[in-house]
Amino acid sequence: MVEGLIGVSILLPCIAGLLCFLIKSPGARSAIIVATGVVLTISALMLFNNGPCTYTPQTILGLDVNLLITVADFGLLFIILGIAFKLGNPLVIILTLLQIVPLAYFELKMAPHVELSPAFYIDTLALVMNLIISIVGSLICIFGIRYMEEHEHHLHLKKSRQPRFFFFLVLFLGAMNGLVFSNNLLWLYFFWEVTTFCSFMLIGHDRTEIAIKNATRALWMNMTGGVAFVAAIIAIYYKTQSVEYLSLQTLINHSPELTGFLLLPFALLCFAGFTKAAQVPFQSWLCGAMVAPTPVSALLHSSTMVKAGVYIVVRLAPGFQGTYLSTMVATFGAFTFLTASALAVNMSNGKKILAYSTIANLGLIIACAGINTPAAIIAAILLIIFHAVSKGLLFLCVGTIEHAIGSRDIEDMRGLYNTMPAVSRITIIGILTMMLPPFGALMSKWMAIEAAANIPWVVVMVALGSGLTVLFWARWAGLFVSGPQLKQQEIRKESALKATLLTLFRGFYPNAKWKDPASIKVPLVVLASGAILLSMTVPWIYTILVKPVVASYRTGLFVEPFKTMPFGLTSGVGAFYVLPVFLVSILAYLMAVFASQKGGHRVISAPYMCGEQYPDPMQPKFRSHLNSWKDYMAGNVYLHEFIGEGKISYWINILSLIILIVMFGEVVR
Amino acid sequence: MNTVDMIAVIAAVFLSPLLGGLVAGIDRKVTARLQGRYGPPILQPFYDVLKLFGKEKMVVNYWQIFCAYMYLAANILTVVLLALQSDLLLIFFVLAVGGVFLVIGALAAESPYSQIGAQRELIQMLTYEPLIILVFVGIYLEAGSFKISEIVSNYHQPLLISLPLLFIVLGYAIVIKLRKSPFDISTSHHAHQELVKGVMTEYSGPYLGVIEISHWYETVFILGLCALFWHTNFIWMSVLIVVTYFGEILVDNITARLKWRWMLPHAWTGGLLMSFANYFWIYAKIQ
Repeated sequence: MVEGLIGVSILLPCIAGLLCFLIKSPGARSAIIVATGVVLTISALMLFNNGPCTYTPQTILGLDVNLLITVADFGLLFIILGIAFKLGNPLVIILTLLQIVPLAYFELKMAPHVELSPAFYIDTLALVMNLIISIVGSLICIFGIRYMEEHEHHLHLKKSRQPRFFFFLVLFLGAMNGLVFSNNLLWLYFFWEVTTFCSFMLIGHDRTEIAIKNATRALWMNMTGGVAFVAAIIAIYYKTQSVEYLSLQTLINHSPELTGFLLLPFALLCFAGFTKAAQVPFQSWLCGAMVAPTPVSALLHSSTMVKAGVYIVVRLAPGFQGTYLSTMVATFGAFTFLTASALAVNMSNGKKILAYSTIANLGLIIACAGINTPAAIIAAILLIIFHAVSKGLLFLCVGTIEHAIGSRDIEDMRGLYNTMPAVSRITIIGILTMMLPPFGALMSKWMAIEAAANIPWVVVMVALGSGLTVLFWARWAGLFVSGPQLKQQEIRKESALKATLLTLFRGFYPNAKWKDPASIKVPLVVLASGAILLSMTVPWIYTILVKPVVASYRTGLFVEPFKTMPFGLTSGVGAFYVLPVFLVSILAYLMAVFASQKGGHRVISAPYMCGEQYPDPMQPKFRSHLNSWKDYMAGNVYLHEFIGEGKISYWINILSLIILIVMFGEVVR
Repeated sequence: MNTVDMIAVIAAVFLSPLLGGLVAGIDRKVTARLQGRYGPPILQPFYDVLKLFGKEKMVVNYWQIFCAYMYLAANILTVVLLALQSDLLLIFFVLAVGGVFLVIGALAAESPYSQIGAQRELIQMLTYEPLIILVFVGIYLEAGSFKISEIVSNYHQPLLISLPLLFIVLGYAIVIKLRKSPFDISTSHHAHQELVKGVMTEYSGPYLGVIEISHWYETVFILGLCALFWHTNFIWMSVLIVVTYFGEILVDNITARLKWRWMLPHAWTGGLLMSFANYFWIYAKIQ
């Protein structure tokens, strides 16, 4: 049964993608996408229920799998080479050749026929990733159905390009599942390159000049990671003279005397992870990816692509525990967290805020992997989970809002609560789950800070970055509710208690209808409630999903870093009371809603304008000369004079390159 | 939950507003004396809040009411967690919840004054939050735990002795957190500093009362943090609190408001340098 489920996780998206590509009827395509999502979710749950396992497929339809993957690998590289020639981009050509030639040399000369068993090593970390990819990824694909319809409607396309779009979108899920299951580094490399290729095709989907430019940038940056990956494979073989170490598990659980030999491959693989996770100085490809339709950004940012980058670093972390490399990885991650948060403060484009916040969170995950204590690894995995859900949700929200108001600028979202109460409310939930206790993302940050406390420069960067994240999230949430009180609120006659309960589901404007179709509503509601429920059940999530991951490595030496209590988590040095804080939050929420819904005398006034305001409270204006009415303008503080994107990006790139050079310099030496 | 904890929670919820209000009254009295005035009675803040609750309820937007109560709830929870001697970082994060809702409430009203106030309050939060985290990390490095209960039971000398520079950083953060001059940028207690009351502009009547009470809780929390630096002896603890708070009042009265463009870089640079110096001190001592 396990074989079947693994096959479903990897191959079903490929087949479904092909079907999406071949079948031109939109109805059938939607049905295929929804069905694939449902099947993937069920299979991920069943696989998780089955527990950790290993599996080595020998043949598919009579073909040797190992050979098949090798052939496909070269096929893919030559396709990319062809694209590179078509783009006329010498950089991509060189980077592709730098992968083809060494890989060919390795496969033909150095170590032909690398057969490793097990080829798929599925532990709890892989299962957690599989759950995220299958559930969050599927929801994003389902959201894409309706979104792409509207998107193409806006673009006035003669011929729909959706078949191609969904081919790559759905294929992506299969490649990611393969990536997290693979134990054979050569297989992992293949899936790694598939995700690079898919993201290139998806970012450039709209074929505008800027889309092609940004897609090319994403391609070359990720190809440097690919080159590092191939170099790592060869370095492992060269240093150990054995193909055994191409098995991820053998590599991680190597004997202590080999650590010095293996640091270079570890550093190279981490570098590959950095490029894929868009860490500085590679942040620009992920920001450029914003030109793609929203489902692409949502997928790249939440459950796939960038998560592959942090996955590999977290996966390898036990292998370089306690080394110089580990400290450098922590420093690098924390630096990314700080700088990306600063850049996010600087943005007024909603999608770019999300992009930089993603990069920042990935930086924090990588920092945790570098700190490399069991507690830090737990923080990293929890952050992967919570970030995937909340960030996926926020991207879908911004996409929905963008289609409704034609802008993704947060300044244009002022008072959106009055026109789109439901979507605004869900967006605010998404924002709060990213930044406030008792939600899971913040709990991971708590763990991260406590774990980082022993490396002062890391904790300082995390502290500063954490202050910056509060700034850009809080003002965004506030902008949504900025505006006058609408009249429809006043007509209601329910009791205060009923009104309070109704508010839980329908907000302050219970009469407003949410008109979006189901394929938009369902992903938003599922992800929003998921973000809240996952946070509430964090002690159980920890016990079931996260603890086994950390317990599985360094067996024997494992001291459980956190203890679950009936109401939260405690560590040797701290305690996070999840449930009591949740309970108080819910009570406070109900009290606050009740207070605002209570009947009785209450005046809705116009905002204060020095006594010179316009008679209509709905339109705040000042009286100006000759009794004319002047609008006022309010805007966010973006700190341009301190941290303007154009100003500091250059220095951030230089500094991050220096950190990388120092990291490699010491490792090579 | 045992009896001691129960008493601590009840005291935190019911006694801290009384204490906070009293501190506010003393603050006003001392401030008045420093300015050569006679000043209001010590209990004046209570009279003010009582009067506020008798006023007409007036809002621009229901979100303001919601946010005022969330601000109150977060601040009460902060003090309760402090009284329960829980995790310093957890307390800090809950404190941030209050700040965030105060800002959202101010942004909810479309008044230019409260909008500007909200932006400035955000910058103030941005300035003091990392400083407070750095102080807590210093406490952890010295005392070996983030949990107040363990610091109190396992660490047997005043933290002030090993963390003097971090105490200065905390003092810096407190001036910003309590919005005292020269960092009363988002809203000011002094009438001469501003025409319109920044982040509080659109709050009036009972809801302003709620915000005032929340602020009292905040004050108690801040004093509690100071107390942590001399937890071994009650008398010295009180002396430390009184001296610190008097210092804050003094600074409040002898300085004029600065711009956030000055505050942010200076507070961060100074705070970082002093924190690092103190960390090195701790490390040197361990070696």
